[in-house]
Amino acid sequence: MSPFGGGYAGKLLYVNLTEGSVEKRSLDRNLALNYIGGRGFSSRILFDELKPGTDPLSPENRLILATGPLNGTPTPSASRLVVAAKSPLTGALGDASSGGYFAPELKYAGFDAVVFQGRSSHPVYLWVEDGKAELRPAKRLWGQKIHETSELLKEEIGDDDIHICAIGPGGENLVRYACIVTDEEGAAGRCGIGAVMGSKNLKAVAVRGSGDVGIADPKRFKEAIDAYRQTLEGEVWTEVLRRLGTPNLVAHRQKLGIWGAKNFQRATLDGWEKISGEAFREKFLQKVLGCMGCMVRCRRYSAIKEGPLAPTYAKGPEYDTINSLGAKTYITDPAVILRAHHLCDEYGIDEQTAGSSIAMAMELYERGILKKDQVDGVELVFGNGEALLHFIEKIAFRKGFGDLLAEGTKILGERLNASYYAIHVKGLEVDASDPRSLPTRALTYSVATRGSCHLRGFPYIDEFIKPEEAKAFFGTERVSDLQALEGKGKMVAWSENWITVGNLMGLCIFAWYRSRSFPMLIKRGLDLVNEVYVATTGLPMTSEGLFRCGERVYNVEKLFNLREGFGRESDYPPQRFFEEAMPDGPGKGSKLNRDDYDRLLDEYYEARGWDKVSGHPTPRKLRQLGLDGA
Amino acid sequence: MSRKRIGYFENRDDPESICSRCRMCELICAFHHHQVGNPRRGRIKVIGLGKGEDIPVTCMNCEDPPCVNVCPTGALHRAEADGMVMVKGDLCIGCAMCVNVCPVGAVTLDPVLGMASKCDLCQGDPQCVLYCPAKVLKLTDAGQLARHRMREFAKFLRTADERS
Repeated sequence: MSPFGGGYAGKLLYVNLTEGSVEKRSLDRNLALNYIGGRGFSSRILFDELKPGTDPLSPENRLILATGPLNGTPTPSASRLVVAAKSPLTGALGDASSGGYFAPELKYAGFDAVVFQGRSSHPVYLWVEDGKAELRPAKRLWGQKIHETSELLKEEIGDDDIHICAIGPGGENLVRYACIVTDEEGAAGRCGIGAVMGSKNLKAVAVRGSGDVGIADPKRFKEAIDAYRQTLEGEVWTEVLRRLGTPNLVAHRQKLGIWGAKNFQRATLDGWEKISGEAFREKFLQKVLGCMGCMVRCRRYSAIKEGPLAPTYAKGPEYDTINSLGAKTYITDPAVILRAHHLCDEYGIDEQTAGSSIAMAMELYERGILKKDQVDGVELVFGNGEALLHFIEKIAFRKGFGDLLAEGTKILGERLNASYYAIHVKGLEVDASDPRSLPTRALTYSVATRGSCHLRGFPYIDEFIKPEEAKAFFGTERVSDLQALEGKGKMVAWSENWITVGNLMGLCIFAWYRSRSFPMLIKRGLDLVNEVYVATTGLPMTSEGLFRCGERVYNVEKLFNLREGFGRESDYPPQRFFEEAMPDGPGKGSKLNRDDYDRLLDEYYEARGWDKVSGHPTPRKLRQLGLDGA
Repeated sequence: MSRKRIGYFENRDDPESICSRCRMCELICAFHHHQVGNPRRGRIKVIGLGKGEDIPVTCMNCEDPPCVNVCPTGALHRAEADGMVMVKGDLCIGCAMCVNVCPVGAVTLDPVLGMASKCDLCQGDPQCVLYCPAKVLKLTDAGQLARHRMREFAKFLRTADERS
């Protein structure tokens, strides 16, 4: 029985793959209270257990699967699993997350997190069932794609009511951006955590659990989740997500002119209508999907039923699919994008780095830096869908030019003496949008602790916050001005701490952290989340305390990265954004200005309580967060 | 006579009105009955068939219920002629004969208590119906189901000329 009133399973599972042993450890109450769960657990454990300079693909690296305290309860959209390790793509802290059903199942099986270390001498998978765990040989599974792996596992275990996370050939072949896929659908994509799993000879984790996740105060809990349901009523964002999924953003990107199309050589996209949210819905959508307990249901289930790429059944696409595999490569055939997305999921590689790497190679090819004989004789030009599909498979198996593409854009740039065309921060490719015309996005993408990321903060507050709200909360009305710099460092720092709370809980930040009303961000993302957390766990906590936990985790991640040598210079956007102005669209002529960016970064560091030169948290900040010893 | 049960009503023409596998029905059912998070204690279950096919399954409240007929202790019973088949927890011995004979698999042994567990319609206010985001679960009965089928068939007849 868990010593916690509810929420937590109370146990961590430690697996030593070198020795082939498993060990159960009790969850420390202080870890729970100060780090909550999810990314909080994974980041703190990585910080504590990894020596600086650890080779990410060595047995010494850790692979962590972490849940949050709300996973497994009927809290809507409490579905997210965090996977984490030191990233083989970036060398910095790496994590990724996935919705679906795996995280709740791990809780029902009695574990809050699984920590792997070492390396097995042969392929294995971990079978977890109701408080017990064992490593089993995975020779039959090795080499299989995601769907086949899942089918074989269900057959071997003799039960289809299990939940699985697995790597595909991408992870086995140590593609630096291999992903981990949960239940064949949810890719925990970024940072190459799947390659770490592959380096450990761990093919999959299969789980079945039938235990309770306790709820300390059921009446209070029910009132809190009902209040959450009410906040979704009339939320425009929710309806849009349900109808179009994240691809609703395609039209928005075109309107603002912030595509990173053609490897950030164009800001708008001819033929965008063919790959809009509406187009995908009309052409391919079979039904909308919901992750565990989700009331938003932004996941898509799609099928290509006719044409040369039929039959293809796939979850998705997401906006970032369309951006990475479509806009960046300038491919506007929706069937090709959906097929490419499906292949990435089946082979287990992150579609965002895959698309970015192929797009970069396309630019190098067009510029004559890469010659045809270097790229397996393929006409590697923008818009060539066949080339895209061809190289996704080559990457997964590291065949031909795919071997170099499998390294990601940073190494690709270094090897070809073309780093200028590698559009990344800290080694992780810029996703989501081109930030040259929007300072808040530029800052958010660049300071994110896992490398360039649009989900580590919430750089949209300035799009909707009212001037009086901005003045009251951030000290200046200028925060409500999209182009202004004042107050933006403070705003970004705040949004990072705030959104981290969702990651700690196991909540989907789309369902809980999206609104175009600033007061709602606080009401739902802090006050309601705190109410659900307290009702679930019975632990003493406040909204302010939760926010502080978010800040603490962010600082631990910063400390991890500083230890690995990522200082202030690593918090800058790619050079291209300073050198080249956006060539077209509403932001035409915009580029980042180094002085302005320095100002932004200074303000951000100041808001964070970090030294402006070194980026190191000040002793005062560390004391405030209880990180004095760290 | 109108014996109630939970029915699944999807609309194949609307991608939002098909079971979207969020499993909120399982979660809220287990919470309502046991105040915990544990879908395996839910009395409704979403069964995935692959390729995006997911169907929620629960008790059909049969006219001549095999679970009641086979139960050796009288734990499974129907108190009122048109009421729901229920479980008397204190009489159940967990023999699972009800599980064995149920044609749809809707009776299970509760994984924590080990006793027979099945839909009880939440005393007339089923939580799964209330919480289903796709609104595809409804409190219904055989008469309403038949009516629903007839309506579908009538639509089919109305457009028969166009098809022929």
